[in-house]
Amino acid sequence: MKAAAVTPAIAGSLPVPAGYTWQQAAVAVAIAAFLLVFLIVPVVTVVYVAFADGAGGLTLSHFATFFHISLMHESFWNSLYVGVWSVAIATLIAVPLAYFTVRFEFRGSAIIQTLGVLPLIMPPFVGAVAMQLIFGRSGAVNLLLNDWFGFTIPFMDGLNGVIFVEALHYFPFILMNLVVALNNIDSSMEESAQNLGSNGFRLFRRIVFPLAMPGYVAGAALVFIKVFDDLGTPLVLNVTNMLAPQAYLRITSIGIEDPIGYVASVIMVIASLGALWISTWVMRGKDYATMQRGYAGLAKRKLTTRQTILAYGWIGLVLAIVLAPHLAILLLSFAKVWSFSVLPDAYTLAHYASVFQDSPRAIWNTVLFCGIAATLDVVIATAIAYLMLRTRVPGRNALDFTVTIALAIPGVVLGIGYLRTFKGIEIPFTGELLTSSWILIALAYTVRRLPYALRSCVAALQQMHVSLEEAAENLGASKRRTIWRIVVPLMAGGMLAGFITSFMTAAVELSTTIMLVSSQDDAPMSYGIYLYMQSAAGRGPGAALGVLAVLIVAVGTYLSYRALGQRAQDARDVQRLA
Amino acid sequence: MEPLRKVKVEFENVSLAYGRTRVLTDVSIAIKPGEFFALLGPSGSGKSTLLRLLAGFLHPLSGSIRVAGEDVTRVPPWERDIGMVFQNYALWPHMTVRRNVAFGLEERRLPRTVIDRRVAAALELVGLSEYGERRPGQLSGGQQQRVALARTIAIEPKVLLLDEPLSNLDAKLREHMRVELLSLQRKLGITTIFVTHDQEEALSIADRVAVLDQGVIQQVGTPVELYDTPANRFIATFVGTINLLRGALVESGGRAVFHSETIGDIPLNLGTTAPGPMAIAIRPHALQLADRGGTADAGRTWLDGTVLAREFLGEFVRYNVRTGPAELTVDQPHYMGEAGFAPGAEVRVGINPAQVKLLAD
Repeated sequence: MKAAAVTPAIAGSLPVPAGYTWQQAAVAVAIAAFLLVFLIVPVVTVVYVAFADGAGGLTLSHFATFFHISLMHESFWNSLYVGVWSVAIATLIAVPLAYFTVRFEFRGSAIIQTLGVLPLIMPPFVGAVAMQLIFGRSGAVNLLLNDWFGFTIPFMDGLNGVIFVEALHYFPFILMNLVVALNNIDSSMEESAQNLGSNGFRLFRRIVFPLAMPGYVAGAALVFIKVFDDLGTPLVLNVTNMLAPQAYLRITSIGIEDPIGYVASVIMVIASLGALWISTWVMRGKDYATMQRGYAGLAKRKLTTRQTILAYGWIGLVLAIVLAPHLAILLLSFAKVWSFSVLPDAYTLAHYASVFQDSPRAIWNTVLFCGIAATLDVVIATAIAYLMLRTRVPGRNALDFTVTIALAIPGVVLGIGYLRTFKGIEIPFTGELLTSSWILIALAYTVRRLPYALRSCVAALQQMHVSLEEAAENLGASKRRTIWRIVVPLMAGGMLAGFITSFMTAAVELSTTIMLVSSQDDAPMSYGIYLYMQSAAGRGPGAALGVLAVLIVAVGTYLSYRALGQRAQDARDVQRLA
Repeated sequence: MEPLRKVKVEFENVSLAYGRTRVLTDVSIAIKPGEFFALLGPSGSGKSTLLRLLAGFLHPLSGSIRVAGEDVTRVPPWERDIGMVFQNYALWPHMTVRRNVAFGLEERRLPRTVIDRRVAAALELVGLSEYGERRPGQLSGGQQQRVALARTIAIEPKVLLLDEPLSNLDAKLREHMRVELLSLQRKLGITTIFVTHDQEEALSIADRVAVLDQGVIQQVGTPVELYDTPANRFIATFVGTINLLRGALVESGGRAVFHSETIGDIPLNLGTTAPGPMAIAIRPHALQLADRGGTADAGRTWLDGTVLAREFLGEFVRYNVRTGPAELTVDQPHYMGEAGFAPGAEVRVGINPAQVKLLAD
C-alpha cells in the first residue's frame, strides 16, 4: 500500500501515524454502512413504531395503553423481578466460590474453574427442560422429598423456575468477573493497609471490597441484561407473563403492526441500555490493573479444617446442582419413558436415531449460520480494532460505541426490527423474500455477537506495542504488508477466541432465531430443540439434539484452549518484551 | 561485512507542535557522513521526536529533512532505507531470530541465497551465530538488543538510528555495550544517530553531540567542546557537574575581577571583557581543598570554608563545602591510605582562574 498519507497540519508522536489513508476510511465507511443497515435502522424502526401515531406524528398513547393492559403491566414488573432475583442468586452462588479461590490456598481451584465454564456450555432453554425433570413439581427431587418428608418445594413454579434456571446458567459471569477483579488487586494495596493497622473484616470492607466492586457491577449488569432479554427460557417453561415472551406473542399472534409488541421492545431496550450504561460508567477510570508494583492478587491463607469442610461442602452442592441438568438431559435422551419417577423406567437409542434421521439439516444449518456469523464477526472486529488503535479515521470511536450498543439490544427486538424493516424486500436474482431467507438469521447472529469479538480483538491489539509494527515499516514493509506479516499473526489468539465465542453463543441462541425462522428447512439446532420440546413425545429426541448441541459447544471450548496454547505464549511474550 | 556507504543527514528549520505545545522549534543540524552523532537532552526535550521524524513516523509542521542530499520529509517510513533500533527492541515473538533478521531483506524481495548469506553475516557481526533458531522470548536483554541491531544492519541502510540503546541494560552491561556499539560503528562506517538522556554515555562515544532542551538546540559540538566551553547555563549544568555563581565583572586595578555577593572577589586572567552582570562556572575537580594553616599557592584565589558533607565515590571524594553564604561542590581524587576531610572540618578552597568559565547571566 504505497498510498501517500493524508497529513493534517498537526502531526504527533502518539501511537498513530500522521492522519489516515483513503483505504482505511473506505473500510470504516463500509463497516458503518453495515451497522447502519443491520443494526441501527431495525432498532430505530422498532422505537419509531412504538411512538408513531399512524398519521406521521409521535405519541405516547401506545405506552399509556401498554400500562393499562394488566397483563403488560404485570409482565413488566415480572421481568424486573426475575432480572433482579437472578442476579441476586447468581451473586449468592458466585461470591463464596470467588472468595475461596482467591483468598485461600485451595486445591479445589480447578473445580471452581470448571464450575465457571460448565453452566455456559448448555443452552439455558435446554437446561430449563432438564431442570423441570429434576426440580419440577413432579420432578425427581420433589418426588423424593414427598416420599421421605411429605412436602415439596416449588423450585420451578412460574417465575421461580425462570430465576432458578437463569441464575444457574449465568452465575459464571459474576464468578469470573469477581475472580479477575480480586486477582487484579495489587498485593501492595492490602499490605499497605495492614502496615497501617487494618485487618480482617475492616480490611475487606474498606480495601478489598471497594476495589473489587467495579468488576462485580460490570458482571452483574451483564447478567441482568441477558436475563431480562431472554425469550427462550420463559417460553420453554411456559411462562408468558414476562416482557420478552409478550413481545414475541403479540407480534406473532396479533401481527407485525401491533404497537404493543413494539412498546414492550422499547422498554426492554431502555432497561438493557440502562444496565449497560451503569456497567460502563462503573468501570471507567478504574484501571487498577496497571498499577502493578507488587505481586498481583491478595495474600493467600491456609484453611482450617472447619473452613475446608464448609468450602468443599458449598462447592460440592453447587457442583451437584450445576451437573444435574447435564445429567438429566443425558438420561432423557436415552429414556424411553420418564415421567412421575425419579429416574427413567426404560432406556433406548431410538431418539438419537430419529435425530440423525430427521435433523441433519438442523445441524448443518447451525454450522453454516454460526460459521458465517463468526467469520464476519472476526473480520469486522479486527478491522474496527485496527481503526481504533492504529489510525485517526474520524468516527472510529463511534463504530466501537455502536457495536457495544448491540449488547443491549434483545434478540427479540432485533428480530422484530428485521421483520419490519425488510418486509417485502426481495433478494436480488432470486425473487425470494429476504425475511424468509436464512441470510437474515446469519446476519442477526453476526450483529449480536460482534461486541464479544470486538472486545477480544481490541484486547489482543492493545497488548501489542506499536513499535512492533513500526519496526516492520522501518525495515521496508508497507502498512498492508505489516498487517499481514505482523499484526494478524500476533492477534491470531484473540481472533480465534473471538471466533469461538461468537460461534458458540450463536449456536445456542433462541430469541432471535424464533422470530426469524420461517421454514423447517432453515431451522438451526436451537430451534429444532425448541420444537421438539413442545410435545411430550418430542422430549426424547429434543434431549438427544440438546446433547449434541452441548457436545459441539464443549468441543469448541476445548479446541479454543488448545489452539490458544502457542498463541497465548506469543501473547505473553508480546507483553513481556514490549 | 564490508563497510557501508556514508551519507550526510540534515535537519533544516524543523518545527513540530501539538496544538499549543511546541515540541521542536526551528531545529537545524548537519550530520557528517560516517559520524557517530548523539542527540542529548532531558525528558521532553524533543530528542526522540527528532529521531522519529527522521525515521518517518512523524511529519514536521515546517522545515525539511534531507538524507544524502535528498528531501525525504514526505517519504513514508518503508521507503526511506533508514534502519532504526527501538528502545524496547521490538522483536517479533512469533518469529525466530533468523526470521526476525531476514524480515527487511524479504520485504526487498531479494533472492533466498542472498538473504541467507546476509542474515548469517549480520548474526556473526553481533556474535549470535548459534542463536538463529531461538525465539526472542528465550533471549536475555543484551542478546535481544544485538538481534535488533543485526536485523537493522542486514538491510545495509543509509543511516542507523538508535533510540536510547543502553537505557534498558544494567550498569555493567551498559559500559560493555557502549564500547561494542562504537567499535561496530567504526567497522561499518555508517552514519549513526543515537538518542540518550545520559550525558556520560553521549560524551564517551559520540563524535559530536547536539544538546536539546524543550525542543530547542542548545549547542552542537564535540564532547570536549561541550564540557569545556558550554554555550549557556543549561549546558554547563546538564553536562557534568558544575558550580555556578552569579555576580558581575568589574574593573579593579587594571584587571578583570569577578565580584559576587556570596564569595567576594576572584581575579581572572582575561583579555578585554566589558564589565557587566556575569555568571561563572567552575568544575568541582578544578577546585582544590587544603587545610587552613600551611602555604597557599599564590596562583589561586583562596576562600575559607567548612565541609558540610562528603560522598565517597571511589575514584574521588565529593565534598559539599560552605564558603560564606555560598555552597560549593569540590571533588578531590582519592588515593589509597588518604583519609581526606571529615564533615565539619575547617578548610580553604582554591580557585584556579584559568579553569573558570564565563557565562552570560
